[in-house]
Amino acid sequence: MAEPSTAGRAFDAEALPHLDALYRTALRLTGDPAQAEDLVQDTMLKAYRSWRQYRPGTNAKGWLLTILRNTFINDYRRRKLEPVATDLELVEPHAIYRAIEDVDPEGAFFSKIVDEKVLEAVDALPPDFREVLVLSDMEGLSYGEIAEALEIPVGTVKSRLFRARRLLQASLYAYAVETGIIPPREDHDG
Amino acid sequence: MGEPIDCREAAARLQDYLKQELTPELEAEMRAHLERCRPCFGHARFEANFLHMLETRARRCGCPGTLRERIASILRTEMERG
Repeated sequence: MAEPSTAGRAFDAEALPHLDALYRTALRLTGDPAQAEDLVQDTMLKAYRSWRQYRPGTNAKGWLLTILRNTFINDYRRRKLEPVATDLELVEPHAIYRAIEDVDPEGAFFSKIVDEKVLEAVDALPPDFREVLVLSDMEGLSYGEIAEALEIPVGTVKSRLFRARRLLQASLYAYAVETGIIPPREDHDG
Repeated sequence: MGEPIDCREAAARLQDYLKQELTPELEAEMRAHLERCRPCFGHARFEANFLHMLETRARRCGCPGTLRERIASILRTEMERG
């Protein structure tokens, strides 16, 4: 077997450490392990072929996630034709902290919910909210990096993120009450 | 540092504060408010715990070994092709 070229080694060193982040994001975007694997594979191949466009020392993770997201939009999302930005303005659940601050001020209930349920709740978010939340709160990209990846203004990143967190909290709170992890408020209209 | 901020302003900045996206000056004002305002401090701690939980859950899942191997093999073929 031939030795990898210098460019190949550089790509390995910069890109391979981000495979976990790419796979996790792909899984959240597609909602399907097999599609997520295909998406990551396509992303890595595209990234390698456009490796010359990458500026060494800049944010490789952000660059790879941008390729992954664009590949998803162009080649995967249209298979499902998910609704985009439907009724987003109507979604305004109450702040969970206000509902729970007396019984669980630190939000300990979040850590009592199993991984699977948390991820299901993330997957159930509207697509526009989900991708911002995944990139920000699960993969640690900055507002600027997300704005660049999604080609939307920073203000939009912030408003979507705010609503995504509120929706996710509301969903996890409802699940926690339903399963008895936290007691329902007595004075609640329940 | 400017004038002390009130609870409304603190609530408006909370998300940016948790994301470490505030300028040093705005962050210092926010920190000063949280030090003297117990309700806002409680809310900030709740939101920080939520974010920590989310990040922890995300990190428990990783790229499957089989996919890693497949990608390495595809890249090797691609590199040999030049």
